[in-house]
Amino acid sequence: MCIPKSKVRVEMNCSAVGELGKLRTGVRGRTLAGLAVFLFLAVIATPLLRAQQTDAPSNAKKEPEEALLKRVVQLEARLKEVEAALAKAQPGAAVAATAPAPHSAADPPPVAASAPQEAAPAPQPQAEQTGQEPMDLNRTLLHIRGYSDVDLRGSTLKGDPTSTTAFGLGQVNLFVTSDVSDKFKFLSEVVFEAGSDNVFGVDIERMLLTYSFNDYLNVSVGRYHTAIGYYNTAYHHSTWFQTATGRPFLFAFEDQGGILPIHNLGASITGKVPSGSLGLHYVAELGNGRAYRASEPVQNAVDENTHKALNFAVFARPERIRGLQVGFSAYRDLLTPAAVPAIDETIFAAHAVYTGLDFEWLNEALLIRHSPQGTPQVFNTPGFYSQISRRYRSYRPYFRYQYLNAPASEPIFSPSVGLRHGPSFGLRYDMSEFVAVKMQYDYTMLRGDRAFHTLALQTGFTF
Amino acid sequence: MTTSPRLVVFCFFFVTVILFSAGLSAGLDAQSRAPADDSLAIVVNRGNPVENLSFSELRKIFLGEQTHWSNGRRITVVMLEPGNAERQAVLVQIYKMGEKDFINYFLHGMFTGEIHAAPRPLPSSEEVLKFVLNVPGAIGYVKAPNVNDSVKVVRVESRLPSEKDYLLRLHGKPPK
Repeated sequence: MCIPKSKVRVEMNCSAVGELGKLRTGVRGRTLAGLAVFLFLAVIATPLLRAQQTDAPSNAKKEPEEALLKRVVQLEARLKEVEAALAKAQPGAAVAATAPAPHSAADPPPVAASAPQEAAPAPQPQAEQTGQEPMDLNRTLLHIRGYSDVDLRGSTLKGDPTSTTAFGLGQVNLFVTSDVSDKFKFLSEVVFEAGSDNVFGVDIERMLLTYSFNDYLNVSVGRYHTAIGYYNTAYHHSTWFQTATGRPFLFAFEDQGGILPIHNLGASITGKVPSGSLGLHYVAELGNGRAYRASEPVQNAVDENTHKALNFAVFARPERIRGLQVGFSAYRDLLTPAAVPAIDETIFAAHAVYTGLDFEWLNEALLIRHSPQGTPQVFNTPGFYSQISRRYRSYRPYFRYQYLNAPASEPIFSPSVGLRHGPSFGLRYDMSEFVAVKMQYDYTMLRGDRAFHTLALQTGFTF
Repeated sequence: MTTSPRLVVFCFFFVTVILFSAGLSAGLDAQSRAPADDSLAIVVNRGNPVENLSFSELRKIFLGEQTHWSNGRRITVVMLEPGNAERQAVLVQIYKMGEKDFINYFLHGMFTGEIHAAPRPLPSSEEVLKFVLNVPGAIGYVKAPNVNDSVKVVRVESRLPSEKDYLLRLHGKPPK
């Protein structure tokens, strides 16, 4: 505590005085007089010495300081000249420079560099803050970050023209966000990607305009990644974020043979559920669903039917175990493929994942139910994957096992999907903060005792 | 050399008074500043109604998990730029992560859309104070002695930086 400390100091001073008193009575007068004079001189001299100590370096630096002062004066004069020239060229500029415009909390103004302010006087706000912030038309509102990868991949799968060993450009993903206003937010993923025909195409994979009421209610419209399970909304179109070289085939994109409605177009509501330390969140989505008649599976402008796909997800992120997420989702849609009756589709998904700084364990299981209308038949396609990894400095070895089993007579997935399962081993090496090199081996078993090996080398990065 | 006893007595008392007052003032100075010198004050705009934050709330705010104040204002977190001792202390004690993990955390959070914006980096405590003064939803941190009247200091776990057992210190350990 501080007060006892000061008491100790006072006591020490008092004892020092007492000691001086003892000295005074025990020593001869001349010696005492000499001592007193010495102390007096010491007291007088101490401040002088201190002053000299503080002055000494300043004397030493006097010449450079004078030079600096001259330089400052020169620069100030030069600044005045520039300001005067600027004021002549742009009459509004000088005013703008001295009186900052109001700004939004979302995109605050650049703080001008200035001399350190004194602690005593309290500065006044630069501008009156209101709920409505005018848009600064001189500045772009876009924030862009890119993600991409370059791959070398080879496979022993026979009969597939895309399985030859080849270099490949991954998706070039321009992730664009914008703070439209304090409440509105824009987000998009524009992806440039070469298809199996080597021709580049451009896709707007995500494009969402979100209005954020508060932490408990956010309303978005646009194209989104359906909140089925965990993986789809955790990694989107960036391989750099992913530990492995690619998605589990359960979550493969539609144009790469994926079986889920990965993308959807419509509206979504997300937010927290007041649940204390349990950390409950919810997602409710209403969209066009997936197309099965057209070549483009994502129904960006036209829906095959008026029935809308509905998805609801709830997940918990307990405060006590940071990194843990446990959740469940249910998806419902009506599929209307050509030449077959309409099919009711229901997808149940559950996940339990832990993503700590060093340790990662992802577990997801899905059940896709297809029920052709007018028949009692139900086709169940179960699937799961488990992925575990551990970081050792810049290295992260990982293991994944995945399983997917579509019935042979499945009306939607047959015959392309079938049974697929097998392990994957890999190593991720983070060469820098923004560049990762990964090497992965997959062993995939198919129905009919067929199997193939895949080896992939990938450089994923963000820029 | 002869010395007058009066002069001796005068010198003695003079020296005593000087030493005594110097010691007392040093002690008082230490008493008033020692606990706060090392502490990091959490500062918000003066118009912000918040007075106290639990450490859990503070962590959620800095992690971008809580994005709005009770008055509906969006929260804007301010961080000092890398290299500052205060930033390092906040990374260790509030974020509980290193610089690299901090970057990755916010890149990923913004990519998924769950985090609205990463903390805004500013070069100095003076700039942090200016920013918090001008942005109603801002929250930042500065060393306690650098705080001025332009901002409001928020209690953390009901304690001010000058109080005993205050959690956030420049060389403190992560609270449990």
